[in-house]
Amino acid sequence: MSGIVLFKTALAIYLVCAVVYAVSLWVRRVMTARVATWLMIVALVIHTLSFASRWFTTGVSPAIGLHDTLSFFAWVMAAAYLALQLKTKTRILGAFVSPLICLIMVVASVELGGTVGAPDILRGSLVTLHVMLSLTGEALFALASCAGLMYLIQDSLLKRKKAGSLIRLLPSLRDLDRINNICLSCGFPLLTLGVLAGSLWARIVWGSHWQWDPKQIWTLLAWGFYGFLLHQRLVVGWQGRKAALWSLIVFVVLVTLVIFRKLFFQTIHSFV
Amino acid sequence: MRLFLIGMSHKTAPLEMRERLQLLCGEGNQPLAELMRLAGVLEALYLATCNRVEILACTEDDEQAVEALKSFIYRQGNLSIAEMEKCLYVHQDLEAVRHLFRVTSSLDSMVMGEPQILGQMKEAYRMAVESRATGVLLNRISHHAFQVAKRVRTETGIAGNAVSVSYAAVELAKKIFGDLKKKSILLIGAGEMSELAARHLLRQGVGSIRIANRTYARAEAMAAEFQGIPVAFDRFPEVLPEVDIVIASTGAPGYILNAEMVSAALKRRNRLLFLIDIAVPRDIDPAAGEIDNVYLYNIDHLQDVVDANREGRRVEAMKAEEIIAEEVGAFERWFNALEVVPTIVALREKVEGIVKGELERSAAWLGKLDEEERKRVEILAASIVNKILHEPMTGLKEESRDKDAFPFVAAVRRLFRL
Repeated sequence: MSGIVLFKTALAIYLVCAVVYAVSLWVRRVMTARVATWLMIVALVIHTLSFASRWFTTGVSPAIGLHDTLSFFAWVMAAAYLALQLKTKTRILGAFVSPLICLIMVVASVELGGTVGAPDILRGSLVTLHVMLSLTGEALFALASCAGLMYLIQDSLLKRKKAGSLIRLLPSLRDLDRINNICLSCGFPLLTLGVLAGSLWARIVWGSHWQWDPKQIWTLLAWGFYGFLLHQRLVVGWQGRKAALWSLIVFVVLVTLVIFRKLFFQTIHSFV
Repeated sequence: MRLFLIGMSHKTAPLEMRERLQLLCGEGNQPLAELMRLAGVLEALYLATCNRVEILACTEDDEQAVEALKSFIYRQGNLSIAEMEKCLYVHQDLEAVRHLFRVTSSLDSMVMGEPQILGQMKEAYRMAVESRATGVLLNRISHHAFQVAKRVRTETGIAGNAVSVSYAAVELAKKIFGDLKKKSILLIGAGEMSELAARHLLRQGVGSIRIANRTYARAEAMAAEFQGIPVAFDRFPEVLPEVDIVIASTGAPGYILNAEMVSAALKRRNRLLFLIDIAVPRDIDPAAGEIDNVYLYNIDHLQDVVDANREGRRVEAMKAEEIIAEEVGAFERWFNALEVVPTIVALREKVEGIVKGELERSAAWLGKLDEEERKRVEILAASIVNKILHEPMTGLKEESRDKDAFPFVAAVRRLFRL
């Protein structure tokens, strides 16, 4: 039970953090963003504890089931963002990341406390590996898109010569581009490994690596899109606006597809 | 004890007047010693910058001291009193504190938010301390003023934004490239403006600098000065692919850098390019600014940034005034307590002395009582005194919290002959 309390506390602090970030955008002061960053750190710690407690009580890796999946997704985003913020001076990026985290956490809380046990089929380290790696990869892509969105905003402000404090508040183009790059180049190998682990496991359970399942197709699509983006970056030398724009487009397309998939398709890749 | 601030600044006095006062009070001719010799002056602080001359003095409670201070300035300025009177301002007590806080926080500066004044103020304070011209009051005020300046600096954006064209260019460059180390600049035209902008950029640690100029000798001379590389004027498009920032400021009648040159330069290397066109007529074709990853700013755009920043500073200044009002309030509370606390202590000591004296005088008959009874009499006396003193003392403390406690304190002191 304490896991749920911790989760709710973390959610509440994430919400406050998002509000404080919004305020910092409004008043355009770095000071408030600094407070928001600390709030996010606190929320992350409590969130981590909620995972630990859930892992303890259920004995199953806490990344299975809608609630846990989403919660884990939000957790990776928060952790990765904070880690990136240490590396680059991009404090205000949190104003874009934190609402997304909140949204995901709110959706996650709908299913709160639902499934505690998991079906036997999902016990095993291969599943855990598959789920965690894939989710981490996808969360990093989400972060890359946040940075991309911010890049586009800053780019258009600079292009249109919108003199004012918003330009000053937003991070520099190069830092945003770097975050986009780091997230892509870390997320892609993780997702690749996640997909590999999944297909190995599918071979064991379903007898074949590939099922033409909507969720599998979606994942492959995501993998392909981001692989393409990374290729363009590394080989063709895409940088700046184009890379930012495309990572945002890919993200929006994938999110739309997820919603469609949930609404209109049955999947065998759903267990709880 | 009273506080006076007397001085003149760029807002009240013309340059010649400030000059004269500064020369006479300036280096070597330390006015602090002389100030301290004035009748009634207890503590003094003397601040002189290119825009202001100010004397802050803590004096005994009479008009004589102000007159002495004024005549000191007239003497120093060696000018007619009528002329000087127009330029001088005199602030008293809390107004003096407020003025000092505003000056230290750079709200009263010519360029609002400039950082030098805090250093100058600290230096002035150091001089005063060295000359043993400061005491409890001025020490406290000075330290408080430094804190206020720091608060204003961190809590408002008053010093945050560039108010000159070349600083605006540096700020924009930072918003594009993050940090400017390892970036390289190309100057097209080695004029005064481009030199200034280049200097600012170099101070930010820009990696290398190339200079193209129609007169090659000038390019060479400037390259020598900046440790840059001179480039023949008609060959500057060739180095374009290697640079990140271009500053154009030639006297050419038409565009010398067009969109085709820029896209050709970007084709070979995918990256960001910041073009600064400070020439009139313009050197860079505006179409170049339409290209992806290219940011083109001309002199008007930069001026717009500066104007917006100026406006921003004005808004921030209002926040700063609020902070200062708050801090003056805090100082007032401390200042009042400064008077009140010793008064309360003195009052208590006096009354306790009376009780003790009376008990001793009655020692003869008190001696007839036993230990227990004697204790009771002592307690009785003490509690009567405490009851009587309780209300005046709490009243005194409360009074000091928000209002001017001086009349109250003075009355208590006179009534009890403290």
